[in-house]
Amino acid sequence: MIAEEPRIDATRVTELAQALETELARLIVGQKALVRDTVIALIAGGHVLLEGVPGLGKTVLVRSLGQVLSMSFARVQFTPDLMPADIVGTNVIGESDGHREFRYQAGPIFANLVLADEINRATPKTQSALLEAMQERTVTVGTQTRPLPAPFFVLATQNPIELEGTYPLPEAQLDRFFFKVLVPFPSEHDLLEIARRTTGESTPQLKPVADAGAVLAAQRIAREVPIAEHVLAYAARLIAATHPDHTELDSVRRYVRWGASPRGMQTLVLAGKVRALLEGRYNVAFDDLNAVARPALRHRIFLQFEAEADGITSDRLVGELLEHTVKEPARA
Amino acid sequence: MNSLETILRQLRLAAARARAAHYAVHGLVGAVAWIAAVLVVARLVPFERRAQVAAVGIPLAAVLVVLAWSLRRPSAAVLMALADIRLGLKERLSTAWERRAESGPMDGPLRQDALRQAAGARLPSAFPVRVNRGEASLIAVLAIFALGLALLPNPMDQVLAQRQADRVSQARAAKAVVDAQKKVAASDKADPQVQKILQDTQAKIREADSPRKALESITPAEQQLQRLTDPGTPALTSSAQNLANALSGTAAGRGAAQAISSSPAKGAQAVRDLASQLQTLSPQQRQELAKALAKASQQSQNAQMRDSLSQASASLQSGDTSAAAQSLNDVASQLDSLQSQQNTDQAVASAINGLEAARQELAAQADRDASGQGAQANAGASPSAGASASGNGSGNGTGNGSSNGNGTGTGTGTGTGTGSGSGGSGGTGGTGSQGSGSGSGTGASSTERVYVPGQPVPGQSENDPTPLGPGQDVPLSPYSQVIQAYQQAALDATDQSLIPGSERDLVRQYFSQLGEQSQGAR
Repeated sequence: MIAEEPRIDATRVTELAQALETELARLIVGQKALVRDTVIALIAGGHVLLEGVPGLGKTVLVRSLGQVLSMSFARVQFTPDLMPADIVGTNVIGESDGHREFRYQAGPIFANLVLADEINRATPKTQSALLEAMQERTVTVGTQTRPLPAPFFVLATQNPIELEGTYPLPEAQLDRFFFKVLVPFPSEHDLLEIARRTTGESTPQLKPVADAGAVLAAQRIAREVPIAEHVLAYAARLIAATHPDHTELDSVRRYVRWGASPRGMQTLVLAGKVRALLEGRYNVAFDDLNAVARPALRHRIFLQFEAEADGITSDRLVGELLEHTVKEPARA
Repeated sequence: MNSLETILRQLRLAAARARAAHYAVHGLVGAVAWIAAVLVVARLVPFERRAQVAAVGIPLAAVLVVLAWSLRRPSAAVLMALADIRLGLKERLSTAWERRAESGPMDGPLRQDALRQAAGARLPSAFPVRVNRGEASLIAVLAIFALGLALLPNPMDQVLAQRQADRVSQARAAKAVVDAQKKVAASDKADPQVQKILQDTQAKIREADSPRKALESITPAEQQLQRLTDPGTPALTSSAQNLANALSGTAAGRGAAQAISSSPAKGAQAVRDLASQLQTLSPQQRQELAKALAKASQQSQNAQMRDSLSQASASLQSGDTSAAAQSLNDVASQLDSLQSQQNTDQAVASAINGLEAARQELAAQADRDASGQGAQANAGASPSAGASASGNGSGNGTGNGSSNGNGTGTGTGTGTGTGSGSGGSGGTGGTGSQGSGSGSGTGASSTERVYVPGQPVPGQSENDPTPLGPGQDVPLSPYSQVIQAYQQAALDATDQSLIPGSERDLVRQYFSQLGEQSQGAR
């Protein structure tokens, strides 16, 4: 009999997620999928790109998240004249004991939770300032590399690229976002509720429900969730099928320029693990992968111009992939 | 709570049942398709063992089903994964099974969760016993199709029956030859060459593709047998008979004459005895014996016999009994040789009888094949036509004999079933000696056809010889007198040979036209 290791209390993750969702729901009306995806990314340790037209509550969500988490929060409003040093910090001349010396002035990136508001309004040069921070979780200024606090979580919002004054994020930048979550327009019922909650005498005040330690612990637990080989193989088939030269789907061959990177596979599996825990399971199911496939892959599938002309979205292609990718294992 | 192994056992059992039903239906489709295919083929080409071949499909399909069932057993991981998908267990079982030997922080809760979820599920329903409706329909259609093929008349049946009849006919023909071979072997006149010819012929008959092909092996065999006979035998036989006649008038040679008439072998011994007794004979007896030998010498058609008899006569007249005895011993040797030849001839005659019986059987079957009645006609055939012909039949033979007075005569005689007969009246003034010939007999056979070699020329009346024409050595007959007989002979010949019915009609039509022309000429 193999001795089992001391049990990890996976319910702590579920409770954390539920607490976050419940508290956020006090202010955020509807948008349950949006909140769920954001929480999944938070527990998975990934960054989220929220895309939606102005006024849908993207910024409110992130700000609310900062309120319910007892962590440092920073907000950076991206504008065309924003410079990289405005984000990562810079060396400034200061006096100390009568001597002048360069002293590092940390930027707003040094926070647990960073809101990069309207990230696509900054120039690509400034956008790229986030590359190292998001992937390596360090910042290099001059010759010195400085670690960012853990957990480090970037929540970026962007307007759809069709809007004026926007700079599309480069592929490398997009790939660093764990999820790209689309913020839908609320339903009529939700609109009414939003009006009631926000136009009254007082607005709900959120209280912290978790701290950085809880989030880090949840992240560790999530990585322990097992995934069966045939489920993992399904994820691999799914990722491979996003590539025009590895797929059997005509639509992918026709409309896709580049498929998802291996980072997409990591995202799919890790998000699947978190979702499994949130669903009260201790293993990753096909359903978990399917549920997180769209936010995990939609920004990692780069379409041809023909797709835009035909009104084909990456979400639709992901849907087709999920429909056609075989789940049943070979009868070995 | 069930353990993972218990769950696996339940899943295995359910999966085995489902796969058994699945493959059984596949096997049924295969078996019925096989049977239908065999029946279709049997309608396109003659297929003798179609029932057996069709029946083979059933055990074959069963074996393949069992093989496929046992070889394509899914692994435990696959079973668990399929159960997860089909029972909506969200990959709990497969993950727990895959990590059953692991002891990670999540494995314990995972296992308990999987067992708890599995306990609430009806595991056998993951592998239900289902029959594909399409396959069931296919089986029904194929079964009806096969049944129709089996029940409806098959045009190939007639071909098969004809082949069977052909084989039976060839077997009978071969048996007739074998009987003849046994008969030859049983007699004290067994000739290895005759035996070999018969052996080869019966083998060829058995191996031939058809009665027609089998027939082609009989004529060469008969020719080979005929070559074994000595054309000088009739002359030597005649000489021996003349010697017997001549010696019968003498006191010393009467016994020898009787022995020669009995058989050449006994005659040879008697002549040797006579040769050894020459010294004891009185001069008168020697003189009488010398005259008889001289007379026989004059009548002899065999040069060697004539010389020996002449020398013996001359030696006796000169009183040289030892030289006379030597010459008589030579005569005895020639009589021995005659006996040997006659033995061979009789063996050949028996063999030819057997071959003729086989020919009748094969020709009859070939005729039936040509007329498209090969299958039906054979059903009523007698068990052994050849045997009855050689065993119980009476034969007709023509023999050539030579008279002892005025020359050669031709006679017709009747003989036994072996075909040897006694000569009839010969030419002018002569008495025909024993004639040799071959004949075939009709026995208690169902077929009434009789093969008669050496049939007299149609239209030629034996009792009414016609004068020879100028410069011709055969008698001439008026056209109108022979046309009917020729027509009958031709039609008889067509009946006995491999001529299709249409060709027979053509022959009949030809003679009808000739008859009309002859009447017009009158």
